[in-house]
Amino acid sequence: MSEDVTPVVQKLVDGLQLSEADWARLIGSSDLIALGMAADAVRRRRHDDRVTFVQVLEVPVDGEQLEGPIPKQTGEVRVTGCPASHATAVAAVRAVVAHAGAVPVTGFAFADLDAVSGHDRNRLGTLLGDLRAAGLAQLGEVSAEGLRDPDGALAVLRSSGVTAARVTLGTATGDVALSLIRQVASWEGVGQVCRCLAPLPRVGPSPPSTGYADLRQVALARLLVDNIESIQVDWSRYGPKLAQVALTFGADDVDAVPVAGGENQGWRRSPGEEIRRNITGAGFTPVPRDGRFEALDVDPGSERRAGH
Amino acid sequence: MSVESIAEKVRSGGRVDRAEALTLYADAPTLLLGQLADAIRARKHPAGVVTYIIDRNVNYTNVCVARCAFCAFYRPVGSDEGYVLGFDELFQKIDETLAVGGVQVLLQGGHNPDLPLEWYEDLFRAIKARYPDFKLHALSPPELLHLSRLSQQPVPVVVRRLVDAGLDSVPGGGAEILVDRARRLLNCESKATADEWISVMRTVHQAGLRSTATMMYGSVERPDERVEHLYRLRELQDETGGFTAFITWSYQPTNTELGGVEATGVEYLRTLALSRIVLDNFDNLQASWVTQGGKVGQLSLAYGANDMGSIMIEENVVRAAGAAYCMDEAEIVRNIEDAGFVPKRRTMAYDILGDPLFRERDIPRRTELAVARAAGDTAVPAELSRYPARSRPGKQQRDAVTES
Repeated sequence: MSEDVTPVVQKLVDGLQLSEADWARLIGSSDLIALGMAADAVRRRRHDDRVTFVQVLEVPVDGEQLEGPIPKQTGEVRVTGCPASHATAVAAVRAVVAHAGAVPVTGFAFADLDAVSGHDRNRLGTLLGDLRAAGLAQLGEVSAEGLRDPDGALAVLRSSGVTAARVTLGTATGDVALSLIRQVASWEGVGQVCRCLAPLPRVGPSPPSTGYADLRQVALARLLVDNIESIQVDWSRYGPKLAQVALTFGADDVDAVPVAGGENQGWRRSPGEEIRRNITGAGFTPVPRDGRFEALDVDPGSERRAGH
Repeated sequence: MSVESIAEKVRSGGRVDRAEALTLYADAPTLLLGQLADAIRARKHPAGVVTYIIDRNVNYTNVCVARCAFCAFYRPVGSDEGYVLGFDELFQKIDETLAVGGVQVLLQGGHNPDLPLEWYEDLFRAIKARYPDFKLHALSPPELLHLSRLSQQPVPVVVRRLVDAGLDSVPGGGAEILVDRARRLLNCESKATADEWISVMRTVHQAGLRSTATMMYGSVERPDERVEHLYRLRELQDETGGFTAFITWSYQPTNTELGGVEATGVEYLRTLALSRIVLDNFDNLQASWVTQGGKVGQLSLAYGANDMGSIMIEENVVRAAGAAYCMDEAEIVRNIEDAGFVPKRRTMAYDILGDPLFRERDIPRRTELAVARAAGDTAVPAELSRYPARSRPGKQQRDAVTES
C-alpha cells in the first residue's frame, strides 16, 4: 500500500514549502485522492474557486470559409489543421479575422509552423510576425513532445510578439508525460508566452489512458509546474465527465467547449449551459473567457457557485 | 454539526445520521468525501482486492405494463417492437456466457401480463436441468410483486415456488428512489411503493436468498430523498443482513418520456462516496461503469467502490437510454490493476473464484455489448403457446402461433 502523504498534503494546504523528500513522497504516492487534495490546494491559491472556459468555433485551414454571423457565445475562432505554406497560413488567418469581427482568432501548432518555415528560425519568426499582423490573437499550441530547443522556441515567440494559448504534451502518458511536465517546469519564462499547460494527451493513446492516469497527470502538472498560470482540460477531447472531475484535481480552465450542441458534449442542453452546470456542480464558479483569456461580460447572477 | 466534525466522526468509525449525511452530501468537498469513503473501503477490504463477476445481463422481455417515465427500454403490450425471448435463445446466451467463463445470468424484464408464473418456473427448471451449476440471479422486487399480483399468490409463495424452480438470488433493481413522492413523479409507484420494495426484499432475505440493492438517482428526487433511500436500505440490512452489495447509477435520460439531463460525473462520485459512508453495514459497493464510462467507472475505486460489477456481455436497458459503454474482462482487469488493486473473479455472494480468467485461457476481446435480440427480430417463441395470455394482443398472438 502507498505511504501516507497526508502530512505533505497538509503542508501544501497550509502554504508551506515542501522539501525534496516531501516532493518525492507526493509524486511517488499512489493515493490519488491525496494527490488531488494537494493539487486542489495549489490551484485554489492561484485561482480561488474560479474556472474559466471558452466556447470555440473551429475553422479548418483548408476547408470552407466561415459564412453567416458568428454565434454570440463564441469566445474564440480557432483555425485548425496544418497549413501548406506561409502564404496559406496568413491568408487563412486574414480571411477568418475579417469574418470573426471582435472575436479573437487563434490557431496552428508551433511544430507545424516550424516545418512550414523549413525549421529556419528566422523564417519562422517572419511567419509568426505576419500571422500576428494578419490578426492572429494567439498561437494554438506548443507541444513539449519532440521540441528539441525549448529556449529557442520561446525566444522566437517572444521576439515575434506572439503568445501561445497552451503547452501540450503531445501524445505522452505515464512516466514520459511526467518527464515532460518536469521539463516544462524548468523552461525559463514560459509563463510570459504560454498561458496554459494542457497535460492530457492530444491524441488518444492505445490502449486508452485510464481515469486514474489522467487525473494523476493533471494533478502532477498543477503541483510541479509553477511557471505556467493555468492547467487546462479539453471538453471535447475528454468529455464532460472526465473534464469535470479534473477540475477537482487541479485544472482551472476548460478549453474547446463547442459553440453548438453535440451529443458528446452533454445531453439536451446547450454547451454553454452544460459547462456552467458542470463547473458549479464541481464546486467552482464558471467564468466565460475569450481566446485572449479575457473574461467575457456576463449576467453576474447567472455565474454563481453552487454548494460544495 | 460542521462538515469537519462529521468527517471526524466518520474517521473514528461512527455512524452518521440522516442530517449529518445530508450535510456531508451538500457541503463536504468532493475530495474529502472520497477520502472518507476510501478509508472505509480500505478498512473493509484491507488486502486491496477489487472484485468483478463474469455474468450476462439478459432481459427476457421488454413488454411492460408499468410504464415508468424514466425507462427507455419498455414497449407497451401489443407493440410491434415487443419481444419475449424463447427458452432456446436463453440457452444460447448461457452457452455464450459459459464460453467466456461466466457463472450466472442476471435475468430481468418487463412486467409482461402474458407471462404467467408457470413460464418462469418452467424456464428456471429448464435452465437448471441443462446447467445445474449455473446461477440464476433473477427477478427484481417489482417483478416478484408483479408475479404475485398476476398469479394471485402471496409474495412468499411466489418466492418459494421460484426458489424451488431454481432461483438463486435476487437483483436489487426497481428501487429507483425509495420515497413515494419521487416514485409518483416517476410513475413507478404502482409497480411497487417504497414500502412494498422493502417488504419484498425482506421476504427474499427471510427465504434465505441474498440480494443486491440499487439506487437510480438524478431524476426527480431531492438530495434528502437520496439520503432517505440509503437509510431505508441500511435499516433493512441491519434487520436481515441479506444484501451482498449496493450499486448506484445516474438516471439516463435519452429516449425516455421524462427526459431531462444526466447527473454529472462529480455528482456520481459524491453519491457513491456518501453511499459508502452511510451504508456502513454493506460490505461491497459496485462501480457503475456502464453508465459512467470506463474512466469515471475506474475512479469509483477511489470513492468507495471495491467491485467493478459485471462484465455484462449483454446490456439492453441502459443502452436504450443512451449509454453504450463496454468493458470486457481484460479491460476491467487493466483498470483495476492500474488503480493499484488486485483483481479477483467472484460469485454473486462474493466468494472468490480466482484470478483473471483471460490470463488462463484465450478469450476473444469484446468491444461492444450484445443485445437481447437483433433489431427487427419479432419471432415469437413456440413454447409461449403453452401459457395463457392475459392481454387481448397477447391472446391474439398465442392464437396465431398455435395456428401456425
